[in-house]
Amino acid sequence: MTRLRITGGAIHDPANGIDGDVRDICVDGGRIVATLPADAPVLRADGMVIMAGGIDIHAHVAAASVTLGRRLLPEEHALDPAAAPELADGTIPRSGTGGTVPSTFTTGYRYAGLGYTTVFDAAVAPASARQTHAEFDDTPIIDGGFFALLGNDEYLHRQIAAKELGRAKDYAAWILKSTGAYAIKLVNPGGIELWKRNVREVKTLDDPVGTANVTPRKILEVLADAAIKLGLPHPVHIHCNNLGVAGNVATTLESMRALDGRRAHFTHLQFHSYGGERGKSWSSAARQVAEYVNGHPEVTGDVGQVMFGDATTLTADGAVEYLLHTSTGRKWVNADIELETGCGIVPYTYKDKAAVAALQWVVGLELFLLSADPWRMVLSTDHPNGGSFMSYPVLIRLLMDRAYRDEKLKSVNQKMLAGSALADGIAREYSLNEIAIITRAGPARQLGLKHKGHLGVGADADITIYSRDADYAKMFSTPRYVLKGGTLVVEEGQLRRAPAGKRIYVQPGYDNGLLRDLGKHFEKYSSIQLANFPVTGLRDAPIATGGR
Amino acid sequence: MSGAARVQEHATCLGCGCTCDDIAVVIEGGRITDARNACALGLRWFGDGSLPGAVLGGRSSAIEDALSEIATVMRSARAPLVFLAPDLTSEAQRAAIAVADQLRAFVDSATSTTASEGILAAQRRGRASATLGEIRNRADVIVFWAVDPRLTYPRLQSRYAPDPVGVHVPKGRGGRTVIAVDVGAQRGPDDADVRIQMTAQDEKLFIASLRASLGGRTVGDPPIVARVNELAGRLTRAKYAVIVTDAESPPDVPSMRADALIALTQSLNATTRGSLCTLRAGGNRNGADTTLTWQTGFPMAVDFSRGVPRYTPEDATLARLRRGAVDAALVVGSSGALPPAVAAALEGVRTIVIGPRASESALDATIRIDTGVAGIHESGIAFRTDDVPLPLRALLPTPRDTASLLRALGTAIAASRGDA
Repeated sequence: MTRLRITGGAIHDPANGIDGDVRDICVDGGRIVATLPADAPVLRADGMVIMAGGIDIHAHVAAASVTLGRRLLPEEHALDPAAAPELADGTIPRSGTGGTVPSTFTTGYRYAGLGYTTVFDAAVAPASARQTHAEFDDTPIIDGGFFALLGNDEYLHRQIAAKELGRAKDYAAWILKSTGAYAIKLVNPGGIELWKRNVREVKTLDDPVGTANVTPRKILEVLADAAIKLGLPHPVHIHCNNLGVAGNVATTLESMRALDGRRAHFTHLQFHSYGGERGKSWSSAARQVAEYVNGHPEVTGDVGQVMFGDATTLTADGAVEYLLHTSTGRKWVNADIELETGCGIVPYTYKDKAAVAALQWVVGLELFLLSADPWRMVLSTDHPNGGSFMSYPVLIRLLMDRAYRDEKLKSVNQKMLAGSALADGIAREYSLNEIAIITRAGPARQLGLKHKGHLGVGADADITIYSRDADYAKMFSTPRYVLKGGTLVVEEGQLRRAPAGKRIYVQPGYDNGLLRDLGKHFEKYSSIQLANFPVTGLRDAPIATGGR
Repeated sequence: MSGAARVQEHATCLGCGCTCDDIAVVIEGGRITDARNACALGLRWFGDGSLPGAVLGGRSSAIEDALSEIATVMRSARAPLVFLAPDLTSEAQRAAIAVADQLRAFVDSATSTTASEGILAAQRRGRASATLGEIRNRADVIVFWAVDPRLTYPRLQSRYAPDPVGVHVPKGRGGRTVIAVDVGAQRGPDDADVRIQMTAQDEKLFIASLRASLGGRTVGDPPIVARVNELAGRLTRAKYAVIVTDAESPPDVPSMRADALIALTQSLNATTRGSLCTLRAGGNRNGADTTLTWQTGFPMAVDFSRGVPRYTPEDATLARLRRGAVDAALVVGSSGALPPAVAAALEGVRTIVIGPRASESALDATIRIDTGVAGIHESGIAFRTDDVPLPLRALLPTPRDTASLLRALGTAIAASRGDA
């Protein structure tokens, strides 16, 4: 591992209150250290911009669903072959394919090539967790973790129905521990189970899911409380009901209010911030959502920006994908996953001349630009749903460069933009430090990762060094140097090393009394033996939890 | 070897795509003496666990020599093939694909020979599917389309569906309607509640008529329409309808069955819920498709000859072998489990086998390295026919672990290029 003194660069390390100061950064043993001997090797970064490695809090990169998506897209892969890089570290480099859902090795190389060093897969069916670990093993460089889907889990719903909330919490802990997950994920709470029952719409948070005791509201409350009681580093990660539907802002705000002061992360809020009325009209409701988040410090979010071009919509929210399939006529995968969740996939293209896509693009930008606290509204495209992670540099330019943004705005379909804040003109331009917040420091804080997202002593030596460029898209798309855990992976803009990434997960405790009851449930309803459910042989040390 | 009997509970069987993980394997004196819960296919799969452990055909019996010789042979080939036999752990599959990438080889599995029709159809249309447990818990109408699982997937009915109770089917078999669709000699199960028969020649028209019927239109002559309407009515009245088909057993007369059943089950979701259940044969075939997909973006027939993965399902292993386009083949896994047509087409091609019983292989292989069997001697992951990943445990010691061996081969290949 590299011993290195990085000199001459302007440090953007908002977690430590540093905004462009020029000072040395010392790296030893994979971490940032206070000092190094004078003869340590030096990396000159004069005139350059230095940030911690990027952290993607919400992407789909290593999961059974992702590989179903990969399998669906041979035509995309054929158009974007990715040759093996020439590596200097003796690891055997791998070729692959790109497109909106790249193959695993290519995913790791391309994230690192953008200066991203940590990525979370946002939706893993617990039964397929061992596939996620195996895919992360084949995704080099980046440290990876994932969120386990729990919002439509049969056993959990049964505990809620029986008011066995202690057992619900223990079950959530057991799922996280046995799958090696990092956080609890809810997708369309209750709504996937309803879709499996051919009920296609969640009208209110109080719709019954089989029984009046189990409702989206109750599921939200129980899992938010579980995450808090288990002392998880990241709170419950919520994809609200009614994604992508006109007028869904009512559901989104109601979900936020339902949690009433509890810590919670609301994901890809762009897809949940629409005014208007289902089947009739659309408008932006980003202002209402941004105002709610601004006023509630316990709430965090990521945007889920839509970027024009090809995307692949890929979600546990199967009902949404059926609608998208019928409205676009494009091919469609649905996979119902026993006792746990679902999965739907439809390739999609966001066209700037299409009214709804243009509105979605505007809503995302408004969420960024109207959010008062960048620490609590961070960057994502819900890769590959709103667009590929490869589009992050262009998104950064849209946030930093008003002239560029306004020019783009003029070229998109204006039909649904009347009265939107962006159309009325927003002067705000993100600073470099604000970009550092929404792409590294903020996600790290939201995730509770103390050793990441900053450049203080003791942090992982995940460091990205950019050459300045007036074109921010260019600047952020080709970092000059990237260090991952102290290893120089990108040198002079070229990927040169590809060490294995680490796994980021938690191992919360639970009352073993759970297992007897759970054993009966598995015996009766699961096609997998309880003893075969847990993933074994997890590598790297877990992140601590503060469970009670 | 001797010793008291021990029982390994929850072992996973790769005898067919059901991948039952409830097998209790009894081991006595270093041999498997029983596999409780296993069906006849499972008992055959586990056998007694005995294996040869030879290294044959190299300069010496030292594994390092054999690997360096394999590296030389494969590196010097103009058009090398790496072929994944069905019975590998996914760890071994991943390592074999890595070797193929490194060699700029063509890599493929049995899928392109036995089950490509359904894969290609699903790439055109997508698919509506469900895990086997979902079917168990929810399906109230199950159609066995030209497949009788008792012969080739013996525990499917008793373990997954229709027999067991499910969350939404508390009466189990009694709460479900089982429909057998007989297509010529390809019959559904004998104990079905409803039987619909057609000749192999009529299948294509029947399916077209069925799809039309679901769309509210009538296609075909009255005798077909009567049967079609009965089936369509039962499917659309179902709460959760599942059509089960055998991917390994194509129709006797070309009928676009795979494509049509995908379209059919997708269209059921306009009014109710429906899924297609596609059965795959023994080993870890879905694992080959899955690992190839995540590493290359394509599930089979991947050509690395230009330094990047290229998808050539129209020019897969069999076609390449038959037109003489392969000059060295590395077969990984049991050569005895290759599709017979592939084994025959390998004749005359310089062949190397790394797999269980390689030393006894009927292939005319120049170098042979014996390894263990996935889930008997080697641990890892296998993917069930419904893509659910399950753990494989080593029950007995392996002569040598396939995945580790292949990684060592990768190092030997890198060394032979002078770039290690």
